[in-house]
Amino acid sequence: MTALDDEVRVIDAGRPPARFARGWHCLGLADAFKDGRPHEIEAFGTRLVVFQGRDDGALHVLNAYCPHMGGNLAQGTVKGDAVACPFHDWRWAGDGRCAGVPYARRVPPRARTRAWTALERNRQLFVWNDPEGNPPPPGVTIPELPGIHGPGAAEWSDWTWKTLRVEGSHCREIVDNVVDMAHFYYVHYAFPEYFKNVFDGHVATQYMESSPRGDMELGTLSAGRLRSDASYHGPSYMIDHLHSDVGGGLEMEIVLINCHYPIDENSFLLQYGAIVKRLPGMTDEQAADAARLTAEGATVGFEQDVEIWRNKTRIDNPLLTEEDGPVYQLRRWYEQFYVDAADVKDEMTRRFEFEVDTRRANEAWHAEVAENLARRAAGPAEAS
Amino acid sequence: MRPVECAACGNQVLCEKFSPAHTSVQWTAEAAVSCAEFRDRAGGGGGTTARLRTCRALRSSIDRAVADGTLEVDDVRTDA
Repeated sequence: MTALDDEVRVIDAGRPPARFARGWHCLGLADAFKDGRPHEIEAFGTRLVVFQGRDDGALHVLNAYCPHMGGNLAQGTVKGDAVACPFHDWRWAGDGRCAGVPYARRVPPRARTRAWTALERNRQLFVWNDPEGNPPPPGVTIPELPGIHGPGAAEWSDWTWKTLRVEGSHCREIVDNVVDMAHFYYVHYAFPEYFKNVFDGHVATQYMESSPRGDMELGTLSAGRLRSDASYHGPSYMIDHLHSDVGGGLEMEIVLINCHYPIDENSFLLQYGAIVKRLPGMTDEQAADAARLTAEGATVGFEQDVEIWRNKTRIDNPLLTEEDGPVYQLRRWYEQFYVDAADVKDEMTRRFEFEVDTRRANEAWHAEVAENLARRAAGPAEAS
Repeated sequence: MRPVECAACGNQVLCEKFSPAHTSVQWTAEAAVSCAEFRDRAGGGGGTTARLRTCRALRSSIDRAVADGTLEVDDVRTDA
């Protein structure tokens, strides 16, 4: 008995890191913050306020709590280019400077709150998080999407955007998906026929070619063969360029964003959205519909991801097969965002490539789907 | 992992193959600097090569290493 017990694999759950990842984090669609009111964001273990300056038109991100007496600026109002605290009307400018205290003879000399470095791009708002307080290094940025900023942007639909709050899980769970070939069959209902990862610097890419399972429905994403070329640009913002075979020799071009920001060390806000390039003959409305259907198809997958995370344990020592993809190497890459910049090791950032042999897995899965379809054809009562 | 040298530029990487279709490549120097093909395609200046799927010259060198037996494939080894 003891001999057997010695061989039992013991899960090391580890602990979520005490700090939040260094990098750009998308807070949502920029337009959502442009209604003239301050908005509260629960992120990085604290609360932030996002507001648009009335005169400069720019989006600003500050700590939500007023350094005066701790009032919540997100409950306040925008006055000029400043946000005013609901407690005593202290005014805070977008750069963090106190812009005035209406009842006081003078503003305290060191009246400054934390202004977060913000970036508006792809019609989204980003903030830079760095526990060391440094600005983003050159080369570490959010790429501009040609479908938004390029000369052909008029051919693309607007964003369909969705959010999902995930409690009780560290955001490493969703980043793990980058290398998790097999979960695309079980959780996202596709046959991943080609699967390759490349990591280098602050970018991690997943190349995948898949076809729909046939026994499941996922809207646009299950229409036909799918080519997906998806990269995390830093710890939390993934751009997925999708080409979906819609029949008749036509491919629909889709950009799917999959991003998140940490709420605290054990919960995060997952956000995702899609834009679609109009096919020849497609109206704006049809393109918007296609984007909506894509996002809704993704919703099914993400909700199932969340259901798995809600019930699983954190695991630092996963037990892997050759078909599982490079989980440890991905986590080594991800680690670079959780250490001081000076402690980033070459091994975390050097190029690493891993192409999974998907043949055996797909043989097994095709047999399973054929069985499911046969059972379903035999009678609805037996469907499982 | 076994060292494989690229016949085109002499850059050395570490490789492992679980099967003929599987390939794992660990680069030991900065890819955008050490690889001639990536240097051109990544536009110089270092940066990330994570958006470049493969270096064609290195890929042929790996295939050649498999063909001449300097890089063993796990499947072949265990089946033998």
